[in-house]
Amino acid sequence: MADDAAKAAFLAKLKEFEGREVGTQDGADEVNQAMIRHWVEAMGDRNPVYTDAGAAERSVHGQVIAPPVMMQAWVMRGIAPPSRGPGNAQDELMALVESEGFTSVVATNCEQEYDRMVHLGDHLRNRTVIDSVSEEKATGLGVGHFITTRVEYETLEGEPVGRQMFRILKFRAGTGRQAASAGDGEEQARPKRPRPALNRDNQFWFDAAKEHRLVIQRCTGCQALRHPPRPRCDKCGSYEWDAVDASGRGTVYSFVVNHYPQVPSFDYPLAVGLIELEEGTRLVANIVGIDPSEITVGMPVEVEFVDHDADLTLPAFHPTK
Amino acid sequence: MRSDSRVTFSVPAIRSAAMTQTSSKIGYDKISEGDEAPPLEVGPLTRTNFVRYAGASGDFNPMHHDDTIATQVGNPSVFGHGMLTAGLLARLLKDWFGPEALRKFQMRFSKQVWPGDTLTCTAKVTGKREAPSSDGQVEKLVDVECAVTNQDGTEVLTGTATASLS
Repeated sequence: MADDAAKAAFLAKLKEFEGREVGTQDGADEVNQAMIRHWVEAMGDRNPVYTDAGAAERSVHGQVIAPPVMMQAWVMRGIAPPSRGPGNAQDELMALVESEGFTSVVATNCEQEYDRMVHLGDHLRNRTVIDSVSEEKATGLGVGHFITTRVEYETLEGEPVGRQMFRILKFRAGTGRQAASAGDGEEQARPKRPRPALNRDNQFWFDAAKEHRLVIQRCTGCQALRHPPRPRCDKCGSYEWDAVDASGRGTVYSFVVNHYPQVPSFDYPLAVGLIELEEGTRLVANIVGIDPSEITVGMPVEVEFVDHDADLTLPAFHPTK
Repeated sequence: MRSDSRVTFSVPAIRSAAMTQTSSKIGYDKISEGDEAPPLEVGPLTRTNFVRYAGASGDFNPMHHDDTIATQVGNPSVFGHGMLTAGLLARLLKDWFGPEALRKFQMRFSKQVWPGDTLTCTAKVTGKREAPSSDGQVEKLVDVECAVTNQDGTEVLTGTATASLS
């Protein structure tokens, strides 16, 4: 997307979403005491008008009320919400921005207006419209687009309760001024690669990699080679094993090239190969030293070692010269 | 990743003089431009506070509870929900004016809130006015400017609110 014309075409597609209806969403449950209790507990709020029917009855409200700021929560779609079906404007817009790598999200603004108090037994519905999508902005967190929605809240009977404007930033992780200025230089700002989960079965393999040796686990019962490391031989059942040095030569058995989502500790496009060693075992490793578009299945490759940081060295494979 | 090895399973520690009785709310005639609410201090916040809010609100964005995912995309750790900070600030406004008073609440989430942060919520009256209400009555409105700062004095949320007082 370095190309201005491509950026303009992408923005035009985003702008088509402005004013589109997302549709209505009914709250899963009526306004209820249990969820109010969860909320006020999360806020450390002990006002009895939210939780004590007797005290609430004696108050100006005459009954238990929900905290006004909870409005949004009554229609939240929760964890792993079901698909809203094809053609949903919000789902389509999110898929579109994420297709260009703007996969991270942060809320930036919220405005709420309240028409009336919400009581136990109210059943709320919201109606969402996509208000605006900004052009690409460079922010402290990263390069991204602001997306603003307007949401009307009403009861299932159609009585208005309030409304909300909500603005989020969808951004590319690791492209922000904060990330760039977090350390003395880019090397420091860059997060480390994820750590392998080391245990007594696989430690030897990563220790050997630190010494720039590629090793293969060998059953001392039947001499069968195996990878990834595991405690027991699946040929003869023996728990006895040692390790032998591999030649480091093999072929690309299969591979993928990852573009999204981009994790700051890796370079993209990221070529990940399933390498078949000439000894017969296969392992997963990065393919380097070649344009990813030129990698082919069956290509002969040779190991090299990449010292990612003081604690992590991993094998990678480049085409055989 | 930020470390907060200290684990607490309590609600946020509250050190605020303004407690929670609806009867203590202030009247329109008693309040003047420039008046400030007794500050509400909450914290240090822990991951448990974020998880508690996720469950209460239904907002399960993993950035707020899953360190593995949050750090993979470049965050030092999980961070708090903007609406959790907003909810704490709304508590201050409720303690001051009563739960039924809030008409409008606008907020900007200017910085992220991290485990270990202690937040201070403040609010100050910027104006008083009378305006016709939807039912033909006159509504007595108070405009306030409010903010939430962390222990370094950095604003994490700034906002305005309008309350209707009697």
